Amino acid sequence: MNPKRLLALTRGGIMESLHYRLGIFVTLFANLIYLVLVYYLWKAIYDSSGTDVVNGMTFSDTMIYLILATALFNFLEMFVVWDMSRAIQSGKIVLDLLKPMSFRKYTFWSYTGNHVVQFVLTFIPTFIVVMIVTGGAIRMGLNLLWFIIATVFALVINYNIEMLIAPICLYTESTWGINIVKETIVLLLSGASIPLAFFPEKARIVVEYLPFRAVYDIPLSILLEKSGSDTCEGLLKLFGLQLIWLVILTVAGNIFWKIAVRRITVNGG
Amino acid sequence: MGNEALIMNNVCKDFKVLNRHEGLKGSIKDLFSRDYKTVSAVKDVSMTVERGEIIGYLGPNGAGKSTTIKMMTGVLEPTSGEILVNGKEPYRNRTQNCENIGVVFGQRSQLWWSLPLIESFKLLRDLYMVPQKDYEEMIELYRSLVDIEPILHKPVRQMSLGQRTLSDILAAFLHNPAIVFLDEPTIGLDVSMKDKIRALIRGLNKEKNTTVILTTHDMGDVDALCRRIVIIDHGQKIYDNDIEHLKSYFGSYRTLKLKLADNTWEEMLIDEKTTDVMDVIMEKQKEKKITDIKILEISTEDVIKKIYEGGTR
Repeated sequence: MNPKRLLALTRGGIMESLHYRLGIFVTLFANLIYLVLVYYLWKAIYDSSGTDVVNGMTFSDTMIYLILATALFNFLEMFVVWDMSRAIQSGKIVLDLLKPMSFRKYTFWSYTGNHVVQFVLTFIPTFIVVMIVTGGAIRMGLNLLWFIIATVFALVINYNIEMLIAPICLYTESTWGINIVKETIVLLLSGASIPLAFFPEKARIVVEYLPFRAVYDIPLSILLEKSGSDTCEGLLKLFGLQLIWLVILTVAGNIFWKIAVRRITVNGG
Repeated sequence: MGNEALIMNNVCKDFKVLNRHEGLKGSIKDLFSRDYKTVSAVKDVSMTVERGEIIGYLGPNGAGKSTTIKMMTGVLEPTSGEILVNGKEPYRNRTQNCENIGVVFGQRSQLWWSLPLIESFKLLRDLYMVPQKDYEEMIELYRSLVDIEPILHKPVRQMSLGQRTLSDILAAFLHNPAIVFLDEPTIGLDVSMKDKIRALIRGLNKEKNTTVILTTHDMGDVDALCRRIVIIDHGQKIYDNDIEHLKSYFGSYRTLKLKLADNTWEEMLIDEKTTDVMDVIMEKQKEKKITDIKILEISTEDVIKKIYEGGTR
């Protein structure tokens, strides 16, 4: 694969995202409101629990985790399912299929630009604010590098989850419901809305091995040096889990797409 | 590879469609129905297109034109038969095939919506890995054919439909493909824009010897661009020859216009093979006084209309 193509697509994506600058500010503002809600919700939970530490996490641990999870969510969020179902319904998908590179690669690299913009404009500012407010609760060391690597893995895993759901609209020609179900499952099981530590013991063991965790919980755990990621062995285990799911989902996504694309019946004309 | 840009041999395409039932009860039944019917969109179409030709691919709405174009571009796989584009089967190596074709769908744009046109060009240049020199030459050629300066730095979403179509056509030719598919490129455009677009297509075809497959409902496009046309109806090819032959395809039709004494024009279509024009005039003259006579060639539009309405053989 020629890197020039991929860079060109990323560059185009960055320019397109920046074009909708108002959207970025709206996202930041919406986050703020959401975080106020999260703050009071968890404050109430901690106040009523009677202890300072719940499930091994203090109130500020939980808040840092959830704030960064929200920022990470904005940065990793993809609209493959939406975009694809719209493209199929309007018939525009023909044009994407007629690009001189594989559809899966083309789609992925069309989104990377947006990820770069979101990372710089939402994740980094949030991170800095958290650092200032907590007075340096996050250690600035190698964990930052591991976090970035884990985030790249998370990005690819997330894309492959999307690409496993999106082609369903080739069969149903509507994905609204499926998309909502997927978003809810990912948000709940990935640790993006409730830290995994708060899950009941049995559920947690299952969730810890599911791919959703690899999207939000693993990068965050690595950044915050939780879940044993402060040891070499623990770190390898987390990366290993990510890698396994990355391979499984990529292969599965590839196969499903190959089957689904054969069914393409383009509307209109 | 021979001199053929495109070969189609006995191509058929069937679609499986669910038999939908009426009413709410029917809709619920449809959820579990396995009751499919097969619809043949394209039946046994064969044709050969030489390099550098501009082919008008015509047919009434729903005749199977778009389905054929989608098969030629590799998006759809034919149910049976064989298609060769630049000597290769497009649906087997779609990605590879795409490097050598250009596509414009009149109602959709492949350009990056919020970016200025020049950025879309640069993206396509990198996507198709066009060498910088070739790219610059192509832009130079564009400059000589149309006035692209006013649109080059304009975001696509701010363009008028005409400007966008023009841009899309330019984008489709940018990587100098061997064959370009234009699906209703002049749909919804005003007369002067249509003219510009026709001149552009003709110019690019001449300069680059690009094969063009054009589907349209506007006979002006056909008259201006195509020497040869292929007509399909109900999925079957019903005509494949020069435009000149089309006019004598089912008789030598002429339009006879008679101006009567009350200053009104009467118009009639006459087949010269079966009726004599003079006889008709004489006949009319017995009834009314004729002050003026005009005999006109039948227009392509009228012939096509007759074919679409089922006047074939």
